[in-house]
Amino acid sequence: MDALEAAAAVVWPARFAAAVPYLMLAPAVLLVGLLVIGLAYIGDTSLRTLDTSTFLLSDDYTLANYRRALSESLFRTVAARSLQASLIVTAVTLLLAFPYAYLMVRTPSAALRKLLLIALFLPFFIGQVVRAYGWLIILGNQGMVNDALSLVGVAPLRLLYNYPSVLFGLIQYMLPFAVLMLAPALTAIPEELEAAAHSLGANWLRAFWHVVLPLARPGLVGAGLVVLTLTLTDFAMPAILGGGSQDFIANAIYDQFFRTSDQGLGATLALLLVAAGSLLVGLVLYLFGAGTLAMGRRR
Amino acid sequence: MERMKPAFRQPQAAEDRQAAVSVRGVSMVYDGVHAVRDASFDLAQGKFLTILGPSGSGKTTLLRLIAGFLEPTSGEIFINGRAVSAVPPHRRSIGMVFQKLALFPHMTAAQNVAFPLKMRRRDARTIPERVERYLELVRLGGLGGRRVHELSGGQQQRVAIARALVFEPDLLLLDEPLAALDRKLREEMQLEFRRIQRQLGVTTINVTHDQREALVVSDEVIVMEAGMIEQNASPLDTYRAPATSFVANFLGVTNRLSGVVTSLDGDRIGLLAGDHLMVGAAAGPGGSLQIGARASAAIRAEQIRISPDLFALSGLETVLSGTVSDVIFEGDRVVYEILTVLPETGPLRVFDHDVGSRRQYRAGDAVHLGWNARDLFVYKADPEPAATKPDRGD
Repeated sequence: MDALEAAAAVVWPARFAAAVPYLMLAPAVLLVGLLVIGLAYIGDTSLRTLDTSTFLLSDDYTLANYRRALSESLFRTVAARSLQASLIVTAVTLLLAFPYAYLMVRTPSAALRKLLLIALFLPFFIGQVVRAYGWLIILGNQGMVNDALSLVGVAPLRLLYNYPSVLFGLIQYMLPFAVLMLAPALTAIPEELEAAAHSLGANWLRAFWHVVLPLARPGLVGAGLVVLTLTLTDFAMPAILGGGSQDFIANAIYDQFFRTSDQGLGATLALLLVAAGSLLVGLVLYLFGAGTLAMGRRR
Repeated sequence: MERMKPAFRQPQAAEDRQAAVSVRGVSMVYDGVHAVRDASFDLAQGKFLTILGPSGSGKTTLLRLIAGFLEPTSGEIFINGRAVSAVPPHRRSIGMVFQKLALFPHMTAAQNVAFPLKMRRRDARTIPERVERYLELVRLGGLGGRRVHELSGGQQQRVAIARALVFEPDLLLLDEPLAALDRKLREEMQLEFRRIQRQLGVTTINVTHDQREALVVSDEVIVMEAGMIEQNASPLDTYRAPATSFVANFLGVTNRLSGVVTSLDGDRIGLLAGDHLMVGAAAGPGGSLQIGARASAAIRAEQIRISPDLFALSGLETVLSGTVSDVIFEGDRVVYEILTVLPETGPLRVFDHDVGSRRQYRAGDAVHLGWNARDLFVYKADPEPAATKPDRGD
């Protein structure tokens, strides 16, 4: 043992000990660093325009791509659609996830808690694309819903390839993420606080409003941010359930890279998406405070 | 018992004859287990009642039934004459201080105290003045702006008390709020509870497993065990005349003896323990003892006199000899463990009364013990055989 310790002391003297935390941080820093290099590369590409005769990018820098991205109505429509969807999906998902998480955390029945957990995790094993195809089977013109409706004499409805169906698919996809982020936040609220609120004269609704909701804020902000950014950058749901008619920004970027091969414009759109996402996250953190994510050293 | 003096308190004159709280035949069954079994008691207006018992005795369940967090399986609870079983907690006028205080961490001290007033839709203009008045009552004047986590443990206790009292509830419930405090702070807060309770005259029910707290703060003490009320009496009577051997053993440092009843003469009971014939006083429900039946007996450590000289104990009705097996110095008292020939009995624990003489016994010394008949409580034998080791007090 002493020999081992002596050997260790040669390889890693005690005065290096202070470096250990930084060393453990290194892999993460490296990963993020690589991402930054990629981002710089995309930034470089975004400043070059595509020569349609040679299909090569120009050598000199220009802001033409940004001008196009910000002025063309197609991109404005796509951006507005993504942004609107992310806000709606976030709001509805939180609204649905909160009671689910609350019930899961507070129910005295262990069986119900397990059932809720399993129901939550099961969709995780099915990828987003497969799940979207599942919705095609259920909601399609000859799908299960229309089959059922025809039995009661209702003419087939067009349930797919529209905005609501994309939102529906997204909400269904985001729900488990939101519940999983809310549950620990709700667990952290002692049940005794609710009992105290009742004994002090608050009915269920007022105890919820004045005690549970404010204390659940870190969880709500965290879950909201995750759902917001995932929705804003989503690709599969609008592509499959929207059928090309409900493109989000990610779909537009895909088109530029792989359909029109205009890498310059694709890179520009990608950077604008990063900027919009960061702005949104920044705004939420500014409004509700980084402290709500249980960061910083309060208490 | 280290300090008995505070237990001598005159009960306040009963101004109001109607019971503030009346518990009638209340039982609570969880999964077939009786957490509370047929509990009944009345509590007069303005009184301070402590429900004392070990963990699992059902005392907290009884408190939660009164608070309205649980509904009794059978029986009924009346508050100011009104049956409350169908009344949800937020419609009962009850202030409660919780075990972990349950202060709202996202609010300041003042906002916590204002909460019940807001929930009861009191006139918003009067709230700040009222909150400040109650913060001053608990000696936190000027600290209302502090957040909960910026206050010390004792200050948080005070906020919780102010919050439970600010809306002038019919009843104040204390669910072991002092259990987590260190001893010094706990004793300070016990007196503080007592002071505030007297100042406001609010009827109070306190739950604790701390016998000292029960004796110090209460007008009345209920001792519970296994869901049953064992005794409901003043602190003095609870200590001086324990109704059951459980109460005798739970309060104070008590030695358990066991033997066979040889004579019944009113209150005086003859008890044969091994070869020793001793005289004791019947305790608890009379008539339960029978000649020839086994009985258990309890004698408190401070009621046993100890002397090397047999003649010094001549006035006492029971005298026996023994050997010192251990000497425990506890600062304000010396505890001797004395081995005797009594059957089914471990060493007797004896407090040295004769501190003035500074006489010290050492392990191995032969001594004589004696006590008065009135200090030996005789009970019907416990269902289980008497423990071989005497119970230690808290």
